[in-house]
Amino acid sequence: MPGLAVAIAETRYAEDMQPSDSARPDERQLIERLRAGEETAFEQLVDDHAAPLLAVTRRILRDEEEARDAVQEAFVAAFRKIGEFQSESRVSTWLHRIAVNCALMKLRVRARRRERDVDDLLPQFDADGHQQHSSATWKESVEDVLQREQSRALVRECIDRLPESYRVVLVLRDIEQLSPEVVAEKLQITRDNLKVKLHRARQALRTLLDPYMRGAM
Amino acid sequence: MSHVTCIEFISFLDAYVDEELDAGTRATFDLHLLICPSCRAYLASYRETIDLVRGVAEKEEELAHDAPAELIDAVKHVKR
Repeated sequence: MPGLAVAIAETRYAEDMQPSDSARPDERQLIERLRAGEETAFEQLVDDHAAPLLAVTRRILRDEEEARDAVQEAFVAAFRKIGEFQSESRVSTWLHRIAVNCALMKLRVRARRRERDVDDLLPQFDADGHQQHSSATWKESVEDVLQREQSRALVRECIDRLPESYRVVLVLRDIEQLSPEVVAEKLQITRDNLKVKLHRARQALRTLLDPYMRGAM
Repeated sequence: MSHVTCIEFISFLDAYVDEELDAGTRATFDLHLLICPSCRAYLASYRETIDLVRGVAEKEEELAHDAPAELIDAVKHVKR
């Protein structure tokens, strides 16, 4: 239902515009129809974008019900602000950012749990600065691993085992590929903090994947 | 920086991967890679970790079905 997430998504969407990522002619036409209040245009927007937006909110929230709610809120925010949409932006980019905002709002309002850190998953070093346990080359290529459903599920399971604040940084930077500036602003952390967090998240995930990848999944 | 150890190499690995190091520091890191098989393996697996994260997400999106009909209906209903 529309709520705080919608309000925040509405206020933030303008700063998420990507000037170099302009609307295609067919999108401009759709926007005009939306602004004119054409019912079929709204239906087209939902039909075309609901699935990719749901994929984004699922990745961030890892909870089906919340992910669907976030998509609904994203569309409500978009409908309300369609008059302010700037054609310098692609519709998909604009909706993507709104959906990310809605999903992040849900993360923030989740009961704050005491989150464990990832220290135990970081590499350990001897007093002389060398790796305590030698790293070994992984056996299979990424492409081969990705071919198998079971292996993909295992990678997904490892990602989901990361503490939430690390997992979200990884999703926004490495999957959604949002810029460091945008992610730092959305998560209300400094860019330096974001950088440290992303590096730790990648290292922790690498540690979780290592036993499987050494033996090849 | 004339010499780095594994701890320094791995601490700044993200900067190395993202090519944010100046030429001199990068050369020092490259030198460490030449003499340290463990860090070479770590670097490769760090890159592969990023590729796996992206690859799994891309594959999930590729295989995703359409959005559930009830969600589509709910959004359209809210708009009305």
